[in-house]
Amino acid sequence: MSTSTLSARHVISRIGAGVLGGYAFVWGFIALGIAGLYALDVPFHDAEAVSNILGFLLFLTVFLWAFAARSVNRVWLVLVGGGLLMTGIATLIEQSLV
Amino acid sequence: MFQNFRLSMAWLHTWFGLVLGFVLMAIFFFGALSVFDREIDRWAIPESRFAPQPMPSFDNLLKPIFADMQPGKADLDFVRDKVNGPLPERFDTVVTWGAYTTHRDPVLNIFAGYEVPNAKEPDVTVFSSRTIDPRTGVLFSDDQLKIGSGFFYPLHYSLNFHWMNLGYWIVGFSSLIMLAALVSGVVMHRKIFRELFTFRPKKSTQRSALDLHNLTGVVALPFHFFFAFTGLVIFAGIYFPIGHTQMKSLHDQHEVVEAQETGLPHDRAGVAAPVASVDAMVAEAQRRWAERGMAGEVGFLTLRHVGDANGYVSVYRAGTDRIALTGEGIHFKASTGELLREDPPSTVVASVNEFLTGLHLQHFRHWMLRWLYVLGGLAGCVCIATGFIFFVEKRKRQYAKEGSQNGRIVDAMAVTTVTGMLLATLGILIANRLLPASLPEGWPGRGDLEQYFFWGTWVAVMVHAFLRSAPVAQGKINPAWSEQCLALAVLAPVTVLLNWITTGDHLVKTISEGYWPVAGFDLAILVGGILAFIAARHLRRKGKGAPQDATDFADAEVQHG
Repeated sequence: MSTSTLSARHVISRIGAGVLGGYAFVWGFIALGIAGLYALDVPFHDAEAVSNILGFLLFLTVFLWAFAARSVNRVWLVLVGGGLLMTGIATLIEQSLV
Repeated sequence: MFQNFRLSMAWLHTWFGLVLGFVLMAIFFFGALSVFDREIDRWAIPESRFAPQPMPSFDNLLKPIFADMQPGKADLDFVRDKVNGPLPERFDTVVTWGAYTTHRDPVLNIFAGYEVPNAKEPDVTVFSSRTIDPRTGVLFSDDQLKIGSGFFYPLHYSLNFHWMNLGYWIVGFSSLIMLAALVSGVVMHRKIFRELFTFRPKKSTQRSALDLHNLTGVVALPFHFFFAFTGLVIFAGIYFPIGHTQMKSLHDQHEVVEAQETGLPHDRAGVAAPVASVDAMVAEAQRRWAERGMAGEVGFLTLRHVGDANGYVSVYRAGTDRIALTGEGIHFKASTGELLREDPPSTVVASVNEFLTGLHLQHFRHWMLRWLYVLGGLAGCVCIATGFIFFVEKRKRQYAKEGSQNGRIVDAMAVTTVTGMLLATLGILIANRLLPASLPEGWPGRGDLEQYFFWGTWVAVMVHAFLRSAPVAQGKINPAWSEQCLALAVLAPVTVLLNWITTGDHLVKTISEGYWPVAGFDLAILVGGILAFIAARHLRRKGKGAPQDATDFADAEVQHG
């Protein structure tokens, strides 16, 4: 590879961002999808299925982005921050429904 | 980290592909074998070599067998630590009885689940399952491993590594990487259309390996993408168990509402009640399917809350005539046979989901498509294997110059996953034919021993591949490639021969009788052996010849970043 700046720490950070950050982000997305769609009267398993299907495509996208993005810190911030935010909103919706 | 998008994708493609390609190779190969898992079961269990059977009579045949069933020791081990105090001698409260078959199954799988008294948590169920001959009700021995559906198939999605479900997670992560490798592979190559038609076998190994890598990757791109993606969707509940964790209260609320809507009792009533004729309910279900113009074979029959007033019987269709994986279930009150409910047509989302998973799991009847699946899976194997070869070929001069051993490791792992995996596969088949039907007291079960042979063979050929790998460090071919090809060329006909000797089913007989499950598998093994023989001769000639020239190296460098 013709890149010169591949420090081990940086590579591990990229992989961590793509895998763990991506997982957190997709978890939030699916949780929000289930809660949000259920709140809109979509049956539970339909909400779950559509969120899963889109969730895996989203995982692929953010995983690739984690390696393509210029700043790995921003990737961490968006994926973990976004994941936590969506997970939190999902729980709030859930509490308002049960 | 990288100068541009293309380089970042090339990095990801190379290194993730290298590390997880070995796992992906096994997933693709055993997935391809799983397409014919039921047929491989017939090969492995000669007593089951008869035609597929419909669901037998419940009243006459299944009911007494179910009534006699009790969980075995291995079943009890699963629940032992979920109970306060000792387990009872007998389990009498039946949560569910079930029987499952497909249009390719001569034998019938049945299972029973029992309530566990004194369980620490509610809803703990102990399961027991058996395989029977649906014509006579005779039980098959538990020790007979269904190598196709009981070993190769779970290997495909779980690596048969069940500790903490880790096998599923490795396969799931590999699937994600497969998707990423496909996208990044397309990004790396601008001339994607031309690569559909490019294969130059006479050029350097590096050049032709890359051609074949691109060709198999691009030709089967939709296949690879679809299967990796739907594989993830099928096990979404394991990878993102949100409905059972974070969203559990919503899920439970939905379950209660659903039970009210469907009218199917969620719990026992606590009042004993007999079971009416289930055969009559099956006949009624078939009448209703026929009214809707649907094929009427029963795929799945299940009784819930057996012996209780709330008991009900569900009859599901075998989905032989369409892709989506649904059963048009029809439910009856067990004590009276009164119709409780017909499943409504699927919602749009459910239909999409059932189509995606159904096309992957392939329960429908379509032999041509079945073979295309095998070819697609093998194309995936070729794509990954040529990826390894390209990786080593591209770097071998640099490695030789630096005295690096990295190429040896990658190459030996490639040998292990290509010829080694095939040898392990023949290993379990040969063990299956050679082990005696009953083993001495104190030995592991026959099915367990077969699995040990599989893993043992694989480890042995891996050791062989590493021991013979020294020439790779000088930029030469590892002789393990040709040696293992030769071993395959010998063992493949031996496997087929052993089937003949131990069962009397030789190819002339199976082909003339049209018994394709065994004839087809024998033929596939033989074709594999012939290909291995051709490969061995080719490799030997190449190993003796001069080291390869360096034509096209520059070209390949440019293309592959």
